[in-house]
Amino acid sequence: MATPTDRQPPRLDRRQREALLGFLFITPLLLWLVATIVWPLIASIHLSLQDVRIIGTTSEFIGLDNYGRVLGDDRFWGAVGRSGIWIVGNAILQTLLAFSAALALKRRFPGVRVARTWIILSWIVPTVVAVVIWRFLLNASGGGLINPLLITLGLTESGVGFFGSGETAFATLVVINSWRWFPFITVILLAALLRVPSDLYEAASIDGASAAAQFRYITLPLLQPTLFVVGLIGTLLSFNVFDVIWLLTAGGPSSDTTTVPVMIYETAFKQFRLSQAAAMSVITAGLLVAFAAFFVKVAKPKEAF
Amino acid sequence: MTRWRGSAAQVIVLGLLAIFVLLPFYWVVAGSFRTPEEVIARAAPWFPRSLTLEHYGNLLRQSPFPTYLLNSLIVAFGTMAFTVVVSTLAAYGFYRLRFPGREWLLNATLLAYAFPGVLLIVPMYGMMSTLGLIDSLMSLIVINVTFAAPFAVWMMKAFFQTIPLELEEAAILDGASRFQVLTRIMLPLTAPGVASIAIFAFVMSWTEYMFASILILSDDQRTLPVGLAGIIGQYQIDWGLLLAGATLITLPVVILFAMIGRYFVEGMTAGAVK
Amino acid sequence: MRIRTPLILGAATAVAVSALSAGTVQAQTELLIWHMEQPPHRVDRIQELLDEFNAANPGIVVRQEPQNWGEIYAKAPAAVAAGNAPDLLFAIPDFAPLLQGIGALQPVDEIVAGLDNAHGFYDAAVEPYAYDGGIWAVPLYNMAISLWYHRPMLEAAGVTPPETWDDWVAAVETLSTDGVHGIGLPANRHLYTDQTTYALMVNAGASELYNDDGTVRFDNPETAAALDFYGRLFAFSPPDAANWTWGEAEACFASQTCAMILQFTVITTYDTQTDGDPADLGVVAIPHAASADGGTISYSNGVMLLTDDPEKRAATEAFLTFLMEPETYGRFLNMEPGLFLPVTETGAEADSFWSDPMAERYRPQIETMLENSQAGRLFGFTSGNIFPSIAAISAQNLIAQATQAVVLDDMAAVEAASEIQERMEDAIR
Repeated sequence: MATPTDRQPPRLDRRQREALLGFLFITPLLLWLVATIVWPLIASIHLSLQDVRIIGTTSEFIGLDNYGRVLGDDRFWGAVGRSGIWIVGNAILQTLLAFSAALALKRRFPGVRVARTWIILSWIVPTVVAVVIWRFLLNASGGGLINPLLITLGLTESGVGFFGSGETAFATLVVINSWRWFPFITVILLAALLRVPSDLYEAASIDGASAAAQFRYITLPLLQPTLFVVGLIGTLLSFNVFDVIWLLTAGGPSSDTTTVPVMIYETAFKQFRLSQAAAMSVITAGLLVAFAAFFVKVAKPKEAF
Repeated sequence: MTRWRGSAAQVIVLGLLAIFVLLPFYWVVAGSFRTPEEVIARAAPWFPRSLTLEHYGNLLRQSPFPTYLLNSLIVAFGTMAFTVVVSTLAAYGFYRLRFPGREWLLNATLLAYAFPGVLLIVPMYGMMSTLGLIDSLMSLIVINVTFAAPFAVWMMKAFFQTIPLELEEAAILDGASRFQVLTRIMLPLTAPGVASIAIFAFVMSWTEYMFASILILSDDQRTLPVGLAGIIGQYQIDWGLLLAGATLITLPVVILFAMIGRYFVEGMTAGAVK
Repeated sequence: MRIRTPLILGAATAVAVSALSAGTVQAQTELLIWHMEQPPHRVDRIQELLDEFNAANPGIVVRQEPQNWGEIYAKAPAAVAAGNAPDLLFAIPDFAPLLQGIGALQPVDEIVAGLDNAHGFYDAAVEPYAYDGGIWAVPLYNMAISLWYHRPMLEAAGVTPPETWDDWVAAVETLSTDGVHGIGLPANRHLYTDQTTYALMVNAGASELYNDDGTVRFDNPETAAALDFYGRLFAFSPPDAANWTWGEAEACFASQTCAMILQFTVITTYDTQTDGDPADLGVVAIPHAASADGGTISYSNGVMLLTDDPEKRAATEAFLTFLMEPETYGRFLNMEPGLFLPVTETGAEADSFWSDPMAERYRPQIETMLENSQAGRLFGFTSGNIFPSIAAISAQNLIAQATQAVVLDDMAAVEAASEIQERMEDAIR
């Protein structure tokens, strides 16, 4: 083992040493992401410039034709539009659910601990299970729960076909996806809420501020860093939701629930146009990065988190 | 707003949310104990008339459920271990150490969520195949860490920010290295945070379906979600069997959560406890 | 709480790493089969047969790895490209062209000829795999859709099993009373809807999807008539039928919410999940339009050979010879009793097929199924014209999408046929 006096390395000043160490610390993560994201991204760009139909076949370089085709395809832009509605719908519903849950769980009451732990339940089940659960629940012709319930309550005569029209199918998927994801957001919001010092509220109460005013002027500003991260990552995650939609409606009826990820999967593995799907992915990644950059610029608080 | 009105609203909100979250589970678990006729009855009674373990018997007899369970656990714990190590290091690097391009790199990690996962399938299959990792649980660990780590970094960073800077500086003045500061001082203080990202990684891995369905070829390497999808089968569905499967898959995470679930929530809120 | 974390992590990593290294021992000739008969009891039955074969043939080891239909279209080409494809892969006719198109398949003409000599394949089973100068799969079993009904429900309503579309719609109307649906038809974007729709198309005289020159002929009056009639029937289906796959239809039938459904079989469900008497389960051929002959959709399932290793080919031949022997073949088919039908003449008479307890109880129904399957067609594989481009049409469920346009989006049938015609042309471009 070498002793420090054996060979003196060129002395770095503290700042340089810290920078080097910083790189060293993030290297594992970077290597990991380069291998699993950057490399596939490059492979996809390469693929998108060819005309490969099925995995494993070869093809010549065709330049930007696929990009032209995708950008000129109304159905692609239709899917982008639906993805937009998907994001907004999920954001609204999940925000609503998560905020009410987090605010309700913030106060202490008997059993609060149990409630705080188990609110998470629907987030920890695999997507496939969630799909089984909801397919079974919404069944109108044997075994379901919701339809018999609605019939008993006199809200419908013969049951509701939740996937029977484009609008209801889309809405149902939003509800199911929100059911799965709102608990996670609840926990994050709850954590942030509990971090707000309670004396702030006490002081405001003494000054006669209403609950709404307290929420507007104390809670929201202090929650902003959290909301920023949740908003950004949540949007990206919900954009990329695929399996719930695919397993429940496969993008139908017609194309009414075909969001961008569904369309990419369909193009690659059902239409067997791998290169075209790659072009779609690259364009999509571009759109998402642009969105993220815009979001960071507009909404980033001074010190995130 | 009076105290009473506050708690009434709270009770109603919590009640509705509890129904929204729990009722689906009740119906599925109850269904898994119903007789086959009752499972698909047009309006099944709220409580199963006669309880049967028939579906569970069929499931355990016919499918290698313990194998699936073991595989899922291996992948989940593997994902958890790598995620914790990789993201804790990175989060500390990003948070405490100044280096050029820091901000930019931190934002760039989010690229993992910007690229449509469905198209990773093709390049990922090629890469895993080159590495000889097709049909191995390691391939799933690799991909799950990719999707768990970036968010874990952001979460962990928040925990580090709750630790006063002076603590670290004192240690460094005492001659501790940065790595020692991380392992001896920061990690113990942010243990709840570590627990949170560990659970996050576990759940991400536990619920993953798409890559597990493509990268795994043989039955003895299959994870639970894909195993469950298998019993759905073509042309026929045995709802009783499926509901029993859904219940059994949920059970291990429920047990896990019963044991350590509160650390997740408490971990996330740790910053509040001054 | 002193940190135990590193310890836990270390242990977890150790577990993870140790579980990653598992090797396989190479036997003399090893055959790996991928099939999509994933429900556990089917896997068990196949394993039973494999064990018998392996015990009787010391030089050969056949193994199975069940896969899922959902992913196989992506997985199989990927595995071929990466060099870890199986030796044998089960197929339905519209899956085979995908692999044949990328040159992954070996012709199996001689194996089929040999088995044909011994057992007599039904022509309709082989036909969908014969094109491009070869036969690309050995047929293993057949499936065909029939109309299933509850005999007591029909009797109570004074209805006889329908034979023509006019009878059918009248019967459905009569049967649809409080809480009961005269028929349950799916409208999901799913293979099941492809199948039921095509079943009606066959019975409207629109079984051909292609012209002789390979162009699509979906936009024609007969197809439109079938779509229109589908819409008329669907109006009586349960509200959630828009999201059905096979399982929900069976549940609807078993719970007596649906008086009739179109399905390959309901025998197992009926037998295990209801307390109905076998004699009360009715099955007939699908009714046809006045202007057309009757028929149905049938799938000849087969197995494809992916390896060019001569030893593996010989092993495959030995294995399939074993499998198609009347003593074993019936047991193979009965991995799902009352669903899989024989594709050979000897198989149709095999004791091993009819002696299954379920087959004994439901013999009349199974005989009707067999009879119906003789008039079976499959979209894209009719009258000797086979165009491999059908893979893209069926993978996208374009026929089901035509149905959805009519029954869910209220589009006129003629319009839907023409719109889907365009989509199909685009798909095979």
